[in-house]
Amino acid sequence: MTAETIIQSLASGLLMGLLYGLIAVGLALIFGLMDVVNFAHGEFLMIAMYATFFLFAFFAIDPLLAAPLVAAALFVFGAVVYLLVVRFAVRAKANAGMVQIFSTFGLAIVMRGLAQFFFTPDYRSIAHSWLGGKTISIHGIFLPVPQLVGALVSIAAFGALYFFINRTDFGRALEATREDAGAVALVGIDKNKVFALGWGLGAALVGLAGAVMAMFFYIYPDVGASFALIAYVTVALGGFGSVFGAFAGGIIVGLVEASTALLLPPSLKSVGIYAVYLLVVFIRPRGLFGSI
Amino acid sequence: MTISRRNVLLGATASAALLPIAARAQTPEVAIGIIYPLSGASAQIGVDAQKSFETALEIINKDFDFDLPLARGEGLPGLGGARIRLVFADHQADPQKGRAEAERLITQEKVCAIIGTYQSAVAVTISQICERYQIPFMSADNSSPSLHRRGLKFYFRAAPHDEMFSAAMFDFFDAMKKKGTKIDTLSLFHEDTIFGTDSGNAQLKLANERGYKVVADIKYRSNSPSLSAEVQQLKAGNADVLMPSSYTTDGILLIKTMAELGYKPSAIVAQDAGFSEKALYDAVGDKLEGAISRGSFSLDLAAKRPMVGKINAMFKEKSGKDLNDFSSRQFMALIVMAEAINRAKSTDGDKIRESLVATDIPGDNTIMPWKRVKFDEMGQNNDADPVLLQYVGGKFVTIFPPQAAVADALWPMK
Amino acid sequence: MDTNFAQRRRRDLIVAACLAAIAALVPLFVKDVYVQNIMVLTLMYAALSQSWNILSGYCGQISLGHALYFGLGAYTTALLFTKFGVLPWFGMLGGGLISAIIAMALGYPCFRLRGHYFVIATIVIAETALLLFQNWDWAGAALGIDIPVRHDSWLTFQFTRSKLPYFYFALVLACIAWFVTWWLEDSKWGYWWRAVKDNPDAAESLGVVVFNSKMGAAAVSAFLTAVGGSFYAQFVSYIDPESVMGFQFSLLMALPAVLGGIGTLWGPVLGAVILIPLTELTRSFIGGSGRGVDLIVYGTLIVLISLARPEGLVGLFSRRRKEATR
Repeated sequence: MTAETIIQSLASGLLMGLLYGLIAVGLALIFGLMDVVNFAHGEFLMIAMYATFFLFAFFAIDPLLAAPLVAAALFVFGAVVYLLVVRFAVRAKANAGMVQIFSTFGLAIVMRGLAQFFFTPDYRSIAHSWLGGKTISIHGIFLPVPQLVGALVSIAAFGALYFFINRTDFGRALEATREDAGAVALVGIDKNKVFALGWGLGAALVGLAGAVMAMFFYIYPDVGASFALIAYVTVALGGFGSVFGAFAGGIIVGLVEASTALLLPPSLKSVGIYAVYLLVVFIRPRGLFGSI
Repeated sequence: MTISRRNVLLGATASAALLPIAARAQTPEVAIGIIYPLSGASAQIGVDAQKSFETALEIINKDFDFDLPLARGEGLPGLGGARIRLVFADHQADPQKGRAEAERLITQEKVCAIIGTYQSAVAVTISQICERYQIPFMSADNSSPSLHRRGLKFYFRAAPHDEMFSAAMFDFFDAMKKKGTKIDTLSLFHEDTIFGTDSGNAQLKLANERGYKVVADIKYRSNSPSLSAEVQQLKAGNADVLMPSSYTTDGILLIKTMAELGYKPSAIVAQDAGFSEKALYDAVGDKLEGAISRGSFSLDLAAKRPMVGKINAMFKEKSGKDLNDFSSRQFMALIVMAEAINRAKSTDGDKIRESLVATDIPGDNTIMPWKRVKFDEMGQNNDADPVLLQYVGGKFVTIFPPQAAVADALWPMK
Repeated sequence: MDTNFAQRRRRDLIVAACLAAIAALVPLFVKDVYVQNIMVLTLMYAALSQSWNILSGYCGQISLGHALYFGLGAYTTALLFTKFGVLPWFGMLGGGLISAIIAMALGYPCFRLRGHYFVIATIVIAETALLLFQNWDWAGAALGIDIPVRHDSWLTFQFTRSKLPYFYFALVLACIAWFVTWWLEDSKWGYWWRAVKDNPDAAESLGVVVFNSKMGAAAVSAFLTAVGGSFYAQFVSYIDPESVMGFQFSLLMALPAVLGGIGTLWGPVLGAVILIPLTELTRSFIGGSGRGVDLIVYGTLIVLISLARPEGLVGLFSRRRKEATR
């Protein structure tokens, strides 16, 4: 094992980690807002990747340009999912936790079925995009451009989100609704509207992640499954309720994954992530930065 | 008495499924069960397989002037011109579900033979059930060598298994070495389900036997979100040949990641699977100029045997794809099975089995580069010679073995 | 109230005995092996879901990692039988005990976690076990274990064609799981769990005893789940890590209880009776299309039932009962 191997692994791990953070942040945002874990999060990612693919295939729109469009489409999709499904799930008086787990889980199955129905189970991928396949080499360390851009998008998204939550009216409404949904109703804020916007925003962030992923990943109806568990672990590791936690969680997960693969057989690399998660929550039961 | 009571208990859905029995009565039909993943992660394979079996079905049931068993004339002459009917079932890659579907097809749909399954794990349970009901099972496209070594009497496989495929690769290396090409070190890269594990084991064994040094033996988790760490170890090993055993998804990610991390092996010799799928070449074909994959099928045969081209055209019309290693094996599985049923002149499982044991189809009467189809006492056809294909200029060219080759290998790859 | 409770419990016991007796007679009339196969699976999932319900429903510790215990049961039985010739009945017991011990060892640190932190911990622990088995060559790794079936015998619990022995075993297992739940409902543990659910302050004062009772619940739940896993290994006679330890198994164990009514005596049974035939029939009769229609139907039903009946389908019955007594 040379120094170069180690540096390259950590660099790749860091880039992947920032991307994991971007995938997970929508989940963290929604959870922080209303204590709901979206078990269809991976399928949101899948939809975003398909949207990017079809924009490219039919309109020749490069994924880079498609990203804002996909984010906007996912925003609408997220809000609709809230209004049609989740709104009723959180209203449940009995077994609220169970109901939201299984209603979103059922939604995930439906989304996979629909994707298979409409898009067929064929594997798709975007063969030639502006950035796809490009790579930068610095002293023998390779940094693939799509992941590099993904990492920058991730950092920018977290920055914007931080500003948004702390500095804007809507962000404050979001925060207030989170803290006391009953009280905000008194001051004339419609709880459902805020939640729907929260879901839209969360989905839009997955949309960004999906557009970036589509540049270098394959796309098929079950693709979300590969990322869903990592996204949950990322959020929980960072701590539920903390957007910054998802950012830190992503980076940790990426680095741990890369370094485990150096030490153990690569087929066990996820074991490193799981072990770190368990270790962290056994010591800090609310994750690294969690408030809930 | 029991039947009517059962129908009542089964309810509407099941009795609807039983209805066609009445309609079937007029023309004699022979039902064959086809069990594939039709939903879930590998649904694409199952959907393509359906098209391939339907192509073979059309050739058997209608009149075609091909040098292929049962092509001329309609239906099965041995059974008074009976038509074959295919019953498709979905096993969702779950051994338990595959088993349940096999049992349903045997007991309810009265199939007299079953063909499957893509996933080897499911072939294990389906072949067990077939053994219990004494119904022949044909592995169309399972390449796990452990399958035919379980002492089952009703198990048959017309196509090669991974040890035969891997042996062909090493024969090829030996031949290239004799010509002066430097091949000393190998990197194995295989996924962690049955397919990759079996393939990896076979390759490791052969490498040791024939004196090749394995510099990296990497087993990775299938459908991983990232393969950077794995590719890095391949790059560090920098072997003369990279030997991946990957399904389509991982194959795409592997090639993309290799390009991103600046790893360019001098040769890729793949254990088929993803590397014979159109989707993979659509995605990363530009990086695979000169990649070699093993296969049991080659379109180059069309030059020698015109029917191969015509059958390919029929399949392409249904599926939009060329026949590949999987669809060709599926096609042949049905032809071989139907040929045996025809000779058995019966739909009785034991009789079909006896007939399969006596099968001897010359290679020229198949669409494959095989010597012939003849099963050994374990139900394996050892005369199914694999070929190695090289991806050149957007097409596959047969480069090995010499009797099937149409071009010399391009080495190193571009 | 107490007499009502005692009355209800007596009635539950009588109903259960009647249902079990009726169920035992069904195979005399239903000879179709495909339908019998569905009945075996239904009973197996009823038993598994009932076991899951003890920990997740009554104790409120939502586990989505029960595939771990299921897999341990299956692997212990299969490994002992194929490697050492130990009869599956001992393997079943051994697998149950191993799982119970592991459940307590894991419960000790995990029960301090709350909500989703706990759920995710159960998922990643089961996934870790899956990966370890996938890479454990002695245990067959990804190739799994093929249990050779030679002839019908109760000793080795193998039957080539008949489903009846499996059916009756699964029925007994479901009855045991039901009875254990019934018995726990009226035990000290059951009382504490209800107290904790109704009144979080009570949790503080009962802290230690409740913690111990949860450990007990985890052990019982894991033991029964592992016996189910042993049964599965014998029934299918082939196991591999993906098919006995996969995440989908954890979900399949939870789903009947969730749909039927979580934390209720009858929920898992009701859920399994509806869900399992539904999954099997949708796959068999519309899954062959290759278009994912079965997934759409199945997923939609889960969404609709969990939204429309958050207390589970069992609520349909209890409401009627309440109205009748009113």
